[in-house]
Amino acid sequence: MIPLTWYLVLSAVLFCIGLYGVLARRNAIAILMGAELMLNSANINLAAFERYVAAGSVAGQVFVIFNIAVAAAEAAVGLALILAIYRSRDTVSVEEVDLLKG
Amino acid sequence: MSLTQAVFILLGGMAVLGALGMVTLRNLFHSALAMILALFSIAGIYVLLEAEFLAVVQVLVYVGAIAMLILFGIMLTRDIVGRASAVRNRQWPLALAVSAGLLAVLAVALVRAAWPLATYAPAQGGVADLGLALMGPYALPFEVASVLLLVAMVGALIIAREARE
Amino acid sequence: MLPTLSVLNLNGAVPQIAVAGAGMLIMLIDALFHRGSRRWAAYLALLGLAVALARVVESGASAETILDGALARDGLGMAFALVLIVAAALSVLVAMDYLRREEHERAEYYALILFATAGGLAMAMANDLVAVFIGLETLSISLYVLSAFFTGDAASREAALKYLLLGAFASAFFLYGIALLYGASGTTRLVEMGTAIRLAGTQADPLLWGGVALIIVGVGFKLALVPFHSWAPDVYQGAPTSVTAFMSVASKVAAFAALVRLLVVVLAPAAPLTSALLALLAVLTMTVGNILALAQDEVKRLLAYSSIAQAGYILVAAVAGEVGAAAVLFYLLGYAFTNLGAFAVVLAWSRRGEGRLPFSDLAGLGFRRPWTAAALSLFLLSLTGMPLTVGFVGKLYLFGAAVQAGWTWLAIVAVLNSVVSAFYYLRLVVIMYMREAEMPLALQRAGLALGVALAVCAAGVILLGLVPGVALDWARQAVAVVLS
Repeated sequence: MIPLTWYLVLSAVLFCIGLYGVLARRNAIAILMGAELMLNSANINLAAFERYVAAGSVAGQVFVIFNIAVAAAEAAVGLALILAIYRSRDTVSVEEVDLLKG
Repeated sequence: MSLTQAVFILLGGMAVLGALGMVTLRNLFHSALAMILALFSIAGIYVLLEAEFLAVVQVLVYVGAIAMLILFGIMLTRDIVGRASAVRNRQWPLALAVSAGLLAVLAVALVRAAWPLATYAPAQGGVADLGLALMGPYALPFEVASVLLLVAMVGALIIAREARE
Repeated sequence: MLPTLSVLNLNGAVPQIAVAGAGMLIMLIDALFHRGSRRWAAYLALLGLAVALARVVESGASAETILDGALARDGLGMAFALVLIVAAALSVLVAMDYLRREEHERAEYYALILFATAGGLAMAMANDLVAVFIGLETLSISLYVLSAFFTGDAASREAALKYLLLGAFASAFFLYGIALLYGASGTTRLVEMGTAIRLAGTQADPLLWGGVALIIVGVGFKLALVPFHSWAPDVYQGAPTSVTAFMSVASKVAAFAALVRLLVVVLAPAAPLTSALLALLAVLTMTVGNILALAQDEVKRLLAYSSIAQAGYILVAAVAGEVGAAAVLFYLLGYAFTNLGAFAVVLAWSRRGEGRLPFSDLAGLGFRRPWTAAALSLFLLSLTGMPLTVGFVGKLYLFGAAVQAGWTWLAIVAVLNSVVSAFYYLRLVVIMYMREAEMPLALQRAGLALGVALAVCAAGVILLGLVPGVALDWARQAVAVVLS
């Protein structure tokens, strides 16, 4: 029997690693990967809560399936933008994405 | 410690290792491979949670599609990636502090919350129930999600077409 | 048992279906017979929005759900849906001549506006967190694409990428927060969630509070609240002006609709925490937005900062929770007319191929373009909150709700901020009428559609300002019918 806490702590650790990736990396693709990891960690929570809290319903799993579709959509549009910027080699390269600067 | 607990620790450890590799490795290609390791391990976690369908979707869509898309993206922008450049931006200590702080807060909140909730109920039903839920109580998000995917498809085409001009 | 169509009862979802359906029809017709002008796409979009609007007005509010409990047909949802549809229709009118002038007239533009609106409508009316999240993502991804819509514009692509990366990041926070609320309640339906959290009492507190904090961070990014606003000025400036106009209104209406519903239906037990957090954000957002706006010398970027500050004012009433819901609704209706109108003038006056409109270009326009200049003055006065405009009534109502809920100091901060904002809004009016142009701007002919949009916006600002009673009653009655 695995305690619920284990799943929740694992997901919190992954969420925060993803957060660090988004805030600290410079490359746009690396930032996108960080955001994907954060979405994944929320999915672990949803699946675990379904098993431990909402027994008998499938809401958590359904939610995860939707989130995976969302992640795919975000990745597709994001990579299209990154490629477009790269190909036109405009003023600022993909490297210069500083998210914390206004 | 039971066998499942050992499996969880193995899978969880692999996921964390992959995630750490993803955010720290200098070569972007390696960092994408580390991400794939993390995504595979999470699929394993779903199996432990008796959510086999999720595990399959995770492998098919995340590893099969999204990770491949990202690898393509990295390879197509390779010479930018290859150029010597900083892995981290200048605010990385702040980023580290924010992430560590949030982890501490979340961990305390989740551990405190988990005790009253922790009763494991084995999965009932299977993929059929998921399908029924998608067509019944979750028909609205299902339909909106189809619009979402259409938007992503049209959007990627519009942006890609502009790049060609 | 297999679900049947009668269970799904699509009748109540007509607004969403009409809007999304019109978008798909546009894509289809464009693919099959695309040649010549794309004006028909705009008309088709307006038709779809008109059907949705008629349906919202006609069906009226009732505290019931459809689609197996996923969609609420209550007053709150219907009223926000109405504001959103009006904003979308005005955005279509504003874009028609602009797209042609900039040589980017494409049918997909209108389809994406409609898809974004459909996502926003799902957010406003959903009684289910899954639907709220998917609606939010549909709205957001449409906006990412729209903000990179113009070919060969490097700045707009950079801005769109920044928007997407921060948006994905914000979505992750929002989703993690939702996951914690799901853990606290075991359901994704908002009403049942509220009941479960109330029954659980203090036991649910750690998850509830964690969820609240993360959801507010996520919504804060989407609403461009300070300190989560770093993307907004660049995106607002880099995006095509017609998209900026739509984005600055539609995303705020949809996000506030979802936020108000969450605050009233689900998060009431966490009210002390939510109010404190939102009050803090409101003070930061108003003050920083206004101070940064003071330093601008270009109208589009100034309006970007002003939009940030405006979200802060609205937040002042959101702090009051249920008491402030009607004020939020009424202000957003007025804000839709005012902000869309102001951006429409920027778009009419800016040079071809350029989104910027430096202050120096405004000089002398008060007399060269008397009608448009009068309209812009009206919108700026309304944004300031001058009496006889909707901005005044709206702010009175917003800040009144805060006072009523015991947040007097917050209302005072908001009033002081309005005074500060008068400096930069009125400066534009002064430049238009008092200063001579050094290099007169070569003005484009404003098209008929843009004229109609400006007239509707101006009429809305004046009518709602002079006779606010009807709309205020409507707002009050609408929020009184909340599914719970």
